[in-house]
Amino acid sequence: MRSTTFISDPSFVASIRGGGKLSADEALAVYSRGYVARLTEALGETFEACWRVLGDERFFAAAAEYIRRNPSRSANLSDYGDNFLRCQAFESFEFPFLGDLATYEWEFKELFHVAPHRGLDAATLSARAKPDSRFRFGSAHRLLCFQHRVYPIWKRDRNDDSPLDPGQWQGPEHLLIYKKEGNSIFVRELSAAEFATLNSLRDGRTLADALESAPGMDAEAAQSLFGFIADSGLITDVS
Amino acid sequence: MTRAPGGRDSFVGVGLRSAHFPHLLGRPGADVDWFEAISENYMDSQGRPLEVLLKIREDYPIALHGVSMSIGGVEGIRPDYLRRLKALADRTDPFLVTDHLCFTGAHASNVHDLLPLPYTAEAASTVARNVAQAQEALGRQIALENVSSYLSYRESEMTEWEFIVTIARRAGCRILLDVNNVFVSATNHGFKAEDYVDAIPSELVAQIHLGGYSDMGNFLFDTHSRAPTPAVWALYRRVIARMPGTPTLIEWDADIPDWAELEAQARKAAAIAEEVLHRQPA
Repeated sequence: MRSTTFISDPSFVASIRGGGKLSADEALAVYSRGYVARLTEALGETFEACWRVLGDERFFAAAAEYIRRNPSRSANLSDYGDNFLRCQAFESFEFPFLGDLATYEWEFKELFHVAPHRGLDAATLSARAKPDSRFRFGSAHRLLCFQHRVYPIWKRDRNDDSPLDPGQWQGPEHLLIYKKEGNSIFVRELSAAEFATLNSLRDGRTLADALESAPGMDAEAAQSLFGFIADSGLITDVS
Repeated sequence: MTRAPGGRDSFVGVGLRSAHFPHLLGRPGADVDWFEAISENYMDSQGRPLEVLLKIREDYPIALHGVSMSIGGVEGIRPDYLRRLKALADRTDPFLVTDHLCFTGAHASNVHDLLPLPYTAEAASTVARNVAQAQEALGRQIALENVSSYLSYRESEMTEWEFIVTIARRAGCRILLDVNNVFVSATNHGFKAEDYVDAIPSELVAQIHLGGYSDMGNFLFDTHSRAPTPAVWALYRRVIARMPGTPTLIEWDADIPDWAELEAQARKAAAIAEEVLHRQPA
């Protein structure tokens, strides 16, 4: 497959000769194949779980179609694929969760490269937090809401090739992925109420407002969530 | 620093690859002199890769080696690329910053490959202008590596070695002489590898690369997927005899071996460098 880059530009093609036993076309094919291989590898690294779900043949076909339509613009290969989840080829597959899974994998990759932040320790946060407090969150986290459950699929044993059934992905999912203890990444599955509370806090609402506005957030759940927030190092400042 | 420190006879490093992170973080006392880090893997990440690089830097010198500067691009080098590279260099204090004598695409599309340039005076002027931009932005001299190639240009006016020497002299940069790439291109284009390496003034060479290619039948492909071949070792012996102590790197990017194998290749290069040096008349 010849890419849509300048390698296939007629004036470039006319300017070159093949090396040694290679014709000009064969020489260009070396570079074209390399381009596709590198971008496919980059997509495979970022969207490894999508690749496992689809299998080699269908993932490579989707990647080839995406690469044909989307030239790489960044000097950094790992930037490639930011809208891969919207690839038309994905929509034709029987797995409705693929877009969510691709989003999760992209956000995980982005978080991997974010600098860890220094959060307040549990004792400090507990001492400073009041009902009218507002929290500042560190940058090393992602709060995600999906229509389908993708975390169990993402963390599935890589050697498990048993077929997926709808029961494994049906239902909404709320996730927090965050860095703690340096660059270690943790994932927490949240209830809808926990997600709503964290989202409100991130938006700058007070602790009391955030807890009150979250449907189904009772006192016990609130205490549990606050305990997690205090231990997670998510919060860098309280005002 | 472009010669072995402390009067040592050899200064051999290896490419820092994530496959070896767990081993190296155990501080095993690796028997290599330095590490080379691919600039782009660290300049856009503040996460674990940079954390590991900074740990390694506590114990070893490092060089930064880029693949996306596109020094031959007619649009010039992206200022934001140079800004991020400088930030990384400021943080890691490398003994050398290098990239490739090639172009990797236009600003609107990056082919992530090392495309050779036409060997013309016009192209040399473009590269010299871009080297000046890079060295000014980075506040340091850089070195450019000869690439393996599978095509040439009808308009070329000089040999590849004349081209790279012209640029180094005109732009005031150094040369990263990839001995494997010389051998691959010599085979693919039908010139003598010895003519190439003999024509490179030793004072211009800041670093040497060694790697392994794949024989595709009708051409050699620079895959960095195996140890250097006997022909490449022979060429290295010829080169290092003329420029003893030049930092030398074992490059291995695909089918990456375990650490012990990589370390053994580095020791082999060091042994050759030392043997050649001691055989020379005082």
